[in-house]
Amino acid sequence: MNKMNRRKFLLASGGAAVLAGTLAMPRIARAAGGKVVIVGGGVGGATTARYLKIADPSIDVTLIEPKASYHTCFLSNEVIGGQRPLSGIEVSFQGLVNAGVKVVKDMASGIDPAAKTVSTKGGQKFSYDRCVVAPGISFTFDGVGGASDAMFDKIPHAWQAGPQTALLRKQLIAMDDGGVFCIVAPPNPFRCPPGPYERACLVAEYFKNNKPKSKVVIIDRKDKFSKQGLFTQAWERLYGFGTDKSLIEWRSAASTGTLEAISASDMTVETLSGGKEKFDVINFIPAQSSGKIAHMANLTDAKGWCPVDKTTFESKLHPGIHVLGDASVAAKMPKSGYAANSQGKVTAAAIVALLSGKTPGTPSYVNTCYSIAGKDYGFSVAAVYRYSAEGDVIGGVKGAGGLTPMDASAEDRKREVQYAYSWYDNIVRDTWG
Amino acid sequence: MYEDQFINEGGVILINKFTHQLLVAAGIIGFASIGAAQAAGPSASMLANTCNACHGPDGSTYGPASPSISGVNPEYLADTMEAYKSGARKSTIMGRIMKGYSTEEIQLIAKHFSKKPLVRRVQQMADGGQVDKGQELFRQYCDACHEKDGYSGEDYPALAGQPMPYIAYQIADFLSGERDIDANQAMSSKEKKKKKRNMMDLKDAEGDKGFEAVMNFLGSRK
Repeated sequence: MNKMNRRKFLLASGGAAVLAGTLAMPRIARAAGGKVVIVGGGVGGATTARYLKIADPSIDVTLIEPKASYHTCFLSNEVIGGQRPLSGIEVSFQGLVNAGVKVVKDMASGIDPAAKTVSTKGGQKFSYDRCVVAPGISFTFDGVGGASDAMFDKIPHAWQAGPQTALLRKQLIAMDDGGVFCIVAPPNPFRCPPGPYERACLVAEYFKNNKPKSKVVIIDRKDKFSKQGLFTQAWERLYGFGTDKSLIEWRSAASTGTLEAISASDMTVETLSGGKEKFDVINFIPAQSSGKIAHMANLTDAKGWCPVDKTTFESKLHPGIHVLGDASVAAKMPKSGYAANSQGKVTAAAIVALLSGKTPGTPSYVNTCYSIAGKDYGFSVAAVYRYSAEGDVIGGVKGAGGLTPMDASAEDRKREVQYAYSWYDNIVRDTWG
Repeated sequence: MYEDQFINEGGVILINKFTHQLLVAAGIIGFASIGAAQAAGPSASMLANTCNACHGPDGSTYGPASPSISGVNPEYLADTMEAYKSGARKSTIMGRIMKGYSTEEIQLIAKHFSKKPLVRRVQQMADGGQVDKGQELFRQYCDACHEKDGYSGEDYPALAGQPMPYIAYQIADFLSGERDIDANQAMSSKEKKKKKRNMMDLKDAEGDKGFEAVMNFLGSRK
């Protein structure tokens, strides 16, 4: 300490503390500690758990999940099309355990926001300072005759990956060449907006190579869909869409009218204008709302989704409980895996701040979503988001994001498949460790 | 020069340059704390963590194609992001994403990843038979800039261990001219000449096989 004497150094250090306190620098924020209980080990819950532990290992994080392992919905269409084995979308919870998260194999059955406890089907009870609810989706049958949970053993939804994915794959393998496979695509809003149309592509690819007389029919409950231009172009280029030899047929809601009924006993789909139609394999993707526990804990609005503060994902109905991922109302972010991962990081940062009595920082969010339409043929949509208090939306930054151009080169579409696989390998490790 | 270290006027704390450097050196304050306007925006980690889902935890990729962005010098990383943003560098998706960030935010992201160690964790099957030849060619044509067998990220990006598909894409784009070396504002005209000359020399001497050997050499590095 040549010119700078001890007194001045202490002054400088003290000043630094004041400065750091003013700017709430996360790196030197004191360890917050506290108990966080997370319901659901999917993308939203797991990302929150991992990033809480990264930010502050002293936080006690418990994650409650009934499944022994997790099957990702992303790339499950490749399992259905036969391009990837079921084991290729299976993720273990060991990475979270290694990160110091207490993973409890049980099902949350109730949340008491006053007592701040989560109880489980197995009779356990966990107290929390902050609770995170990331239950994904549940299905609603909204007047579709004959539809029930029992139907899924014969007519799979395959919209929560795992045994349902395997069942649909098995049915497609068993189907004779010349068979017709029907996808009933859901009304908005729903998990993974491009998913049904990518599924049509990858099953069409399977048919093209193995059962060329077969066909995919999409009975849609909408008149337009995500990445429609890019999908239509891919269908035309790869699967003869628009010709009488097309492997894919898409029927808009306007063309079929209301979806009246679905029958597992005679394998029919009934629409207002189309009447009853028989199919060899049916994939019924029902309308959706928040996962069951969100309904049980009264976290949902009249439409069945969970309203939240979009900067912290804290419930607008029950303070102290955060809801993120598909279950939350996070407009204009889509209900996608990448969105849930991004929201998990925002939620974790907010919880770390709130546990230590600080104001959460400004969030930034991203969505990146790839679709694979066939061999060496991929495309994407991306957005960078900021919260806008005006209109209470997570709005896309103007001029940024958007779709793969319609005139992208064949080489770029090939690269997007490799980047889609990179997306998968990295998001899985970023989420579950 | 130290008399005015702290002037507290109306609750505003001012620090002089020396103190700022001292605090930075002590790791007490970082890039994020320069300027009050930035304090209101997202923090460096808030911005950068969104990249991890494609580029790997803390920017080190699991592959198979998207590159690691950790451990590289912040100037290079910032220049790269700016080039994607302006369209000067070709991309599939990065141009669309980078348009969502300001120059200040790009600086924060670059600084964040430059401090994360590069972990070479891609499981890739390099062709062992091409590695020695690739190393020889790399030392002859590439090592003058991509130093230490491609391990150094000090001045240029560290290429050792990057995913082989990514290396192949970049080589193809350089050779086709789609990745325009002249459009890279971060390189001096001398560097540009050297890079173009070396790549053409390698192509003339060894053809595509030469680049394939270099790619396998880099992909074999752990």
